[in-house]
Amino acid sequence: MMMASEDEVSLLVIVVDVNPIWWGQQANREPQFTLSKCLDAVMVMGNSHLVMTRTNKLAIIASHCQESHFLYPCKLWKFGDGHGDENASTSGDGKYELLSVANDFIAEEIKNLMSRTEVKGNQTDTLLAGSLAKALCYIHRVAKELEAGQEMKSRILVVKAAEDCALQYMNFMNVIFAAQKQACDITGGLYLKIPQKIALAQYLLWVFLPDSDQRSQLVLPPPVHVDYRAACFCHRNLIEIGYVCSVCLSIFCNFSPICTTCETAFKIPLPQVVKSKKKKLKPST
Amino acid sequence: MKLRVQLQCKNLHEYLKELSPEILDRLYNHPATCLAVYRELPPLAKNYVMRMLFLDQPLPQAAVALWVKKDSEKDHDQCVSVLSGLRLWHSQQLQGGLQGNILNPVFKDNLRIALLGGGKSWADQGDSLGPDRHARDVESLDKYALERWEVVLHFMVGCPSAAVSQDLSQLLIQAGLMRTEAGDAPCITSAGFQFLLLDTASQLWYFTLQYLNTAQTRGMDLVEILSFLFQLSFSTLGRHLREFGLVFQRKRKSRRYYPTRLAITLSAGVSANSSSTAMGATPGTGDSGFIVVETNYRLYAYTNSELQIALVALFSECLYRFPNVVVAQVTRESVQQAIANGITAQQILHFLRTRAHPVMLKQNPVLPPTITDQIRLWELERDRLQFSEGVLYNQFLSQADFEVLRDRAQGLGCLVWQNVAHRVIVVSPQGHGEVKRFWKRQKSHT
Repeated sequence: MMMASEDEVSLLVIVVDVNPIWWGQQANREPQFTLSKCLDAVMVMGNSHLVMTRTNKLAIIASHCQESHFLYPCKLWKFGDGHGDENASTSGDGKYELLSVANDFIAEEIKNLMSRTEVKGNQTDTLLAGSLAKALCYIHRVAKELEAGQEMKSRILVVKAAEDCALQYMNFMNVIFAAQKQACDITGGLYLKIPQKIALAQYLLWVFLPDSDQRSQLVLPPPVHVDYRAACFCHRNLIEIGYVCSVCLSIFCNFSPICTTCETAFKIPLPQVVKSKKKKLKPST
Repeated sequence: MKLRVQLQCKNLHEYLKELSPEILDRLYNHPATCLAVYRELPPLAKNYVMRMLFLDQPLPQAAVALWVKKDSEKDHDQCVSVLSGLRLWHSQQLQGGLQGNILNPVFKDNLRIALLGGGKSWADQGDSLGPDRHARDVESLDKYALERWEVVLHFMVGCPSAAVSQDLSQLLIQAGLMRTEAGDAPCITSAGFQFLLLDTASQLWYFTLQYLNTAQTRGMDLVEILSFLFQLSFSTLGRHLREFGLVFQRKRKSRRYYPTRLAITLSAGVSANSSSTAMGATPGTGDSGFIVVETNYRLYAYTNSELQIALVALFSECLYRFPNVVVAQVTRESVQQAIANGITAQQILHFLRTRAHPVMLKQNPVLPPTITDQIRLWELERDRLQFSEGVLYNQFLSQADFEVLRDRAQGLGCLVWQNVAHRVIVVSPQGHGEVKRFWKRQKSHT
């Protein structure tokens, strides 16, 4: 049986969508599942990951309307150790101390984040692409700071609440392609829409806690059948044949001289003028 | 021929499996122990435990078997046996009559506490000690730990400057690492030699297990000791300045002590493969290895530590000594001397590999194949001859006599060797009495 050696570091980055407008509306829709419950489930997931192996590392990023903020670890700490303030009090209960330090810090940070950010407008979408980009940069930095002989596996878990934002499409695609270069197993990802939000912690532990080695051994939810038909950017209709911008790969159902996403100008293709061929008269024999 | 005793280094799970069920259940009463045991499980078993951690009802065994894909059924079976062996989960009958599995409730509750909070604090009387006036920082702790451990090892090698307490030397003798004869100072045994060449984590673990074995005879509670050890191993280095104190100084009455890196690697140092834990490679050298081995059998050890030099001298001849280097040569005599003391070639090679200089680590394989092969060959040379005791029968008067006796000896299964041309047989000592009686009867008949 293959066992991960002591030298292998497994980094889990959790990106949580904390858009206050969406969560505020959610509190009216379903009072029993609020942002704090969601964060509790995420913290359980993070704790479980840290407990699994001594060399596991964790990072949590909150994705807000106007910024992406690291809830854990703190910038000031020595990297990855989670020690923090020497004078911080211990948990006083039976929790593993590393976890109680981490959880207290996360709770403090999310409170600060939500209270200090001024929410403008009515958007219910978040800067997910930006958070993913920050996650990738963090992974890259951790990979550089490893000790000699250590290998690292990393994965990103995105807990998404609000709907997608079309404006971020290009950034999103860029981030996906950057990640593909960094981590070859990007297509090994898992997607799950959670039927019962209250049971979020259990879903996280069952489906998302195993790392890539263990995923190959366990039976996990099959991929949702994706309708690979593209939706055009102008009308959001599903189309089968359309026009693709060669610069940003966005799709349109009708030709337009300027791509609305990347604003590249294209020449209008004219129908080919067929030059008439002068037939050579066969020489009569 | 002397029997060579192989040093057995059990790991945590093997040790726990041997404990009685009552002790195990009491042991699982502490979150730190549950965490330590959990961390040592194979990865698939860890996932199983996590999945069942928040369930209060048993799961049907058939359902659990469906968790793995078809190719991984062997791993599934192994997980099941590990989890049952450690009494982490029990079988329980479900309502429909099927067999189900449920996590050991004590283990489940305590692992939940470790993960989520609640329950009692791990350290008692923590807050009553007040601020620490003699706070130590991480480096001085490391240095202290290394010094203490080296003193123990020095004592084993026989350096006169090392002195340890009576308790400790008793423990070493009971562990079979040293022996004492009629009031002399203790001297090292072959098991002790093998112990010296192990890496620090394994040494620690072996030592601790021996201590635990003797603890019961001293009237100390095994469960309390184990819980305490696991607790220490999980404490963050240097953080528990208000709560813990020095580990290896049980003699002093002070309530203050600091967990050192040694204690923390205790839980991590269980697996046989750990070579680069938080400890670094070995004591006395700082971070990295310090030995360079060349293909001309020369060995360069960049160290000042008396202990390391003594260890290298166990199996090689020291040629030169400089302030920061010791030059030694690995020869047939030196290796065979080490083997005569009970060290195996495998241990010598392991020692060299774990303390290899970073420059050596860059090449693959780390040690030159000529050296590894040659050391093994020198070890095998000693096995070319095998000695067995016997009694020689010769000067038979006729071929018929010889054959009768030889067949009889063979029938009894005690014939060791025969030479038909010279009419000589060798019989084992156990069979000698019987064969002699048979021969006497034979002679009296004819």
